[in-house]
Amino acid sequence: MQLEIQNVSKRYNKNTYGLKDFSITIEKGILGLLGPNGAGKSTLLKMIATVSKPTDGVILLNRNNIIKDPNYIRKQLGFLPQDFGVYPNLNSFEFLEYLGSLKGVGGKNLKSRITQLLEGLNLIEAANKPIGSYSGGMKQRVGIAQALLNNPKVIIFDEPTVGLDPEERVRFRNLISDLANDCIVILSSHIVSDIDTIADKVAIMKNGSLITKGESENIVKKVEGKVFETTIEKEKFSSFKINHIVVSTKRKQGKLQVRYISENSTDDAKVQEANLEDAYLYLTKTK
Amino acid sequence: MKSFSTIIKSDYLQRTRSYAFLITLCASLAISYTFVPEPNANYSTIRIADHIGYYNSAWFGYVTAIMTSIFLSLIGFYLVNSSIKTDINTKVGQIIATTRINNFKYLFSKVISNFLVLLTILLAVFTMSILLFFLYNDGFPFEPFQFIKPYILITIPSLFLISVLAIVFEVFLGKYSVAQNVGFFFIFSSLLVFSPKTENEFSLDIFGSKIVMHQLEESVREITNTDKITDLSIGYVIGNFEKTNKFEFNGVDFPLSFIISRFLWIGLGVLIIFLISGFFHRFDIKEGISVKKITSINTQPTLVKDINVSSLPKTKINYNIFPLLKTEFLLLFRKGKKWLWILNIIGMILLGILPIKIAHQMVLPVLWFLQVNWLSGLTTKEVTHNVHYFAFASYKPLSRMLTSQLIAGFVLMLFLALPLLIRLLFVLNFTAVLSIVIGGMFIVLFAATLGILTKGKKLFEVLFFMMTYAVLNGISFFDYFGGLLHNSYYIFRLLCCILVLGVLSFIVRKIDIKKM
Repeated sequence: MQLEIQNVSKRYNKNTYGLKDFSITIEKGILGLLGPNGAGKSTLLKMIATVSKPTDGVILLNRNNIIKDPNYIRKQLGFLPQDFGVYPNLNSFEFLEYLGSLKGVGGKNLKSRITQLLEGLNLIEAANKPIGSYSGGMKQRVGIAQALLNNPKVIIFDEPTVGLDPEERVRFRNLISDLANDCIVILSSHIVSDIDTIADKVAIMKNGSLITKGESENIVKKVEGKVFETTIEKEKFSSFKINHIVVSTKRKQGKLQVRYISENSTDDAKVQEANLEDAYLYLTKTK
Repeated sequence: MKSFSTIIKSDYLQRTRSYAFLITLCASLAISYTFVPEPNANYSTIRIADHIGYYNSAWFGYVTAIMTSIFLSLIGFYLVNSSIKTDINTKVGQIIATTRINNFKYLFSKVISNFLVLLTILLAVFTMSILLFFLYNDGFPFEPFQFIKPYILITIPSLFLISVLAIVFEVFLGKYSVAQNVGFFFIFSSLLVFSPKTENEFSLDIFGSKIVMHQLEESVREITNTDKITDLSIGYVIGNFEKTNKFEFNGVDFPLSFIISRFLWIGLGVLIIFLISGFFHRFDIKEGISVKKITSINTQPTLVKDINVSSLPKTKINYNIFPLLKTEFLLLFRKGKKWLWILNIIGMILLGILPIKIAHQMVLPVLWFLQVNWLSGLTTKEVTHNVHYFAFASYKPLSRMLTSQLIAGFVLMLFLALPLLIRLLFVLNFTAVLSIVIGGMFIVLFAATLGILTKGKKLFEVLFFMMTYAVLNGISFFDYFGGLLHNSYYIFRLLCCILVLGVLSFIVRKIDIKKM
């Protein structure tokens, strides 16, 4: 199973690109997609999901051009958009049945599959209530359930953990890990720790281009020896952050404990063990 | 004051910067083009017995002002009656509720914004009437005052009051779109029927057009030297042009009491807004769903089963559209309020017991019009509810989803007309049966196509209302279900419309899906 994205661009007008000459090959497993707002993550995911068409380039799934034949991927696609809605007057069971029909799945097993998904996503108690009465997190879980309705082989989750409480996030991570055995799972998120925990490979995007792709450990290596921690006076923080990439700050006894990235250390700074968040910030701020 | 003007400005820009408004503006221009018929056209709009006026400035100004006053009052309400609803849907209302602006200022800013939207259309229509004057010039001089006067005294106050009325309906019937539509329909009809006789009574005419109509009738009486009733007809009357005589109309000298009354109407509008501001919910409203928000579902620790995706029951491929149809009907039944279904049942009973002619001409169009809210959302609800990413990325969305929507709409129309259809079959009136079936198809496709084209509900709602009103007033041009007399050409014309709408809806939706 292979998804090839070859020289794909999405141009909105003469000089504005959502995605520019983007190429990547994705194989079975979980690909975590990271990037700041406007990096082109959602644009890319929508094109893979055939919701949007690229201006240039080709997207191939198992060598089938899905731009020309979108139904090839639609039959095996599970897609959770970043911003989706529901029919508020339907309950979650009816809504999932409807989306199942749209996806072209049915049969006796559809009902039991929906029931099991609702159970697993902790929605079964509310299954007969109109979705309009659900909280944001519950709606998000309905969205996750619909992505798994049709035995998908390509699963795209755009910001899936938005609105989920910490417990649900953990459950979602476990679910994703289970899916990765025989599917392509593409997961975009702003929460670097989510990606770090579950993704087999990570791709970092910026301004519609791919900055890097690889295993999390290899990406982290790019920033090793450049992450420091120091304590400074509050008053000096404004000038400090102009010259360094600040990862985090913590108030401590009237001073600020700062974790930052820099090519060179200051006198009293201590080198810290780097993580994916450091690498992400370093790559997106410097490249 | 600053926040007041900012709300007006933002609201106005938000509404006029939309594709739907552009289409509405174009449609208004197209309709206003017909207000004064081209000299050789075979229809009339305003006519007093067999007389129409020479095409001078006064005739153009007054005719277009009266037609605009009625036409824009009729459709204008539907164009502007969702300004508060938009603030609710976009959640901007919750932010507004936390600001210092008081209810009166907020509601009045909405009135002004409604008014400005209608004035924009009015300006386009006014410009069109001047262009037409020069186009159809009968050799009369251009007198700007004759153009402007009727607009200022007749049309503008009417539009202001419509803007007020839209807000009043939103404040009291905000949740009930169908009640708003039907309520306005009856108010509008009653106001048009009002026929003042004396100078003082003319001041009570909200639309301000009755005094001009009276003057037109008087002018014709003077020419013909007769006391016979010289009926004035307003509306599109086709095929009566050959017998027409012409007379010179030089405008109306409005009495002072009438001029003052127009300003008093505006003042009354402001007063009404002030009085109802105490009843405004200020966005402290229940959710659209009657069920309480579920917040406590996880308060008790529950044993949640983990999902083992690989062991989930495998589903089969099924491209049947029946499940989609089922959902369309579920959405229909859940969306409609109970009282609407009670009205539907009453309508169906009336179709079964009233004389066939009345049932066909009067009850059926009203019963079908009651479905306006559902019909207008037939092809727009995916975008409205933001489920279009699921819907348009589904398997063959065009042939399966759009087809199921059209079938659902058609089945509903036929179901509602069933008592009448059965009666017509019993009396072997197959032409009428065919007309109703084709009419049902037409109105569903009309709703679907306008929804797809405009991405909104408004234009269809406005036009459907206008068509229903016209048909109830016996204007056969707008009859889409064979309720009025027709020649054999009628069914062929409707079938052609159905074909064009069908092709258009599928092509545009296909482009939409590709362009997303």
